[in-house]
Amino acid sequence: MMNIEDLYRLLRTSHVQAQGMVDTISDPLLVLDASLCVQTANRAFFDTFKVDRYETIGQPLHHLGNGQWDIPELGRLLRDVIPRAVAIINYEVRHDFPGLGPRTMLVTARRLHHPDTASNTMLLSIVDATESRRQTAARDVLFREARHRMKNLLAVTQSLARNTTVEGRTAEEFRDDFLGRFVALAQAQDLAFDEQTATDLETLIRRLLAPYVAAPETVVTEGAAVELGPRTIMSFSLLLHELATNAAKYGALSVPDGRLHIRWQIEDEDGRLRLRWVESGGPAVSAPSTTGFGTHLIRSAMPYSLGGSVEQTFAPGGLETEIVIPLHGSPPAT
Amino acid sequence: MEKTVLIVEDEFLIAMDLQILLETSGWRVMGPAPTVRDALRLLEKERPAVALLDVNLGNELVTEVAEDLRQRSVPFAVASAYERPDLVGGDVLAGAPNVGKPTTATRLLPVLTRLAGLSS
Repeated sequence: MMNIEDLYRLLRTSHVQAQGMVDTISDPLLVLDASLCVQTANRAFFDTFKVDRYETIGQPLHHLGNGQWDIPELGRLLRDVIPRAVAIINYEVRHDFPGLGPRTMLVTARRLHHPDTASNTMLLSIVDATESRRQTAARDVLFREARHRMKNLLAVTQSLARNTTVEGRTAEEFRDDFLGRFVALAQAQDLAFDEQTATDLETLIRRLLAPYVAAPETVVTEGAAVELGPRTIMSFSLLLHELATNAAKYGALSVPDGRLHIRWQIEDEDGRLRLRWVESGGPAVSAPSTTGFGTHLIRSAMPYSLGGSVEQTFAPGGLETEIVIPLHGSPPAT
Repeated sequence: MEKTVLIVEDEFLIAMDLQILLETSGWRVMGPAPTVRDALRLLEKERPAVALLDVNLGNELVTEVAEDLRQRSVPFAVASAYERPDLVGGDVLAGAPNVGKPTTATRLLPVLTRLAGLSS
């Protein structure tokens, strides 16, 4: 049989260990009595709310801090916890806490379990959910925007499919025409929404022209480095694709001696980009008698979405296209 | 009331597609307008029977146009990729029918006809 000394030592050790366990927990804990006064609090409570024992122990819950727990609905719920052994789980308290700032706290309360009798105290835990709520909200926005971008692309693809010319050509010609535009768009998407690298104008031009250019001397580019935003990349890709396919079918890129000279400069006062696409050495060209979807894309797409202008001159030497776009997100004026 | 619809949409290919679809079905199109400013300017000159609004116009939202339309008692539908356009564009958009994006003639035409108070 254990003597009294050993019994006291065992109780003290267990008590110290239990206290140690409670103080290791990083979430604030309170033990409240039936009148909702604080009997004990753990270290995390004092550390989190930057209060001491004298401000806390023996105080009614609703007196703590600057009245952050003085919520009638919470009080009603808490008063049921001991007599009816009802649990409150993750009751949300949004408040500007003294010393902490605006926070979302989740309160959980249960009658403290006692092995032999019905207990007359409750354990209340407080979890700071502010950061996880913020991350969830941010993720929801990202998801919504990704879905939005996807549906926009589907609508754009539908438009390309519906409006690419069908009359007077074979299904195969339609398909290739549609796919050419579709691929230009898909590649533009890749570049436009690449988180790691911004897209430079020269890189975009070279990439779009690559399928149509046999020899390196065919295309000469001249201009300063210009970084393009996502909207500009999309509009520019569509436009350059049309110019390139036309040049390959009827213009400078349709013959081995043809040359394409692309020059651009920034006009600083207005944050405008002026680009000139000049073809030479190709077959004689003249203005088309009918304007189809392609011409409409060239003349109207970019001015509509970004503002600016596209002018085409069917010079004796070859087609010249002058493109002006605002660079700094100012809304277009029609 | 004449079958006139104001289209507000910033993406050229989508705006053009909607315009062709509606004009082929006998509607007269105001715009399309890519920005809030262009849309408001058009509304000062003429009152459409109904409007079709994209919610996200690139670097701005269509909210101001919707408010202007409400003040002029012009009914509108949204053509939005968002499930809940009002969560993005504001309460003024709540209750407006969403024809979706992409949309089809079968979905779009009956909605606009009904909003404009025209017999189908």
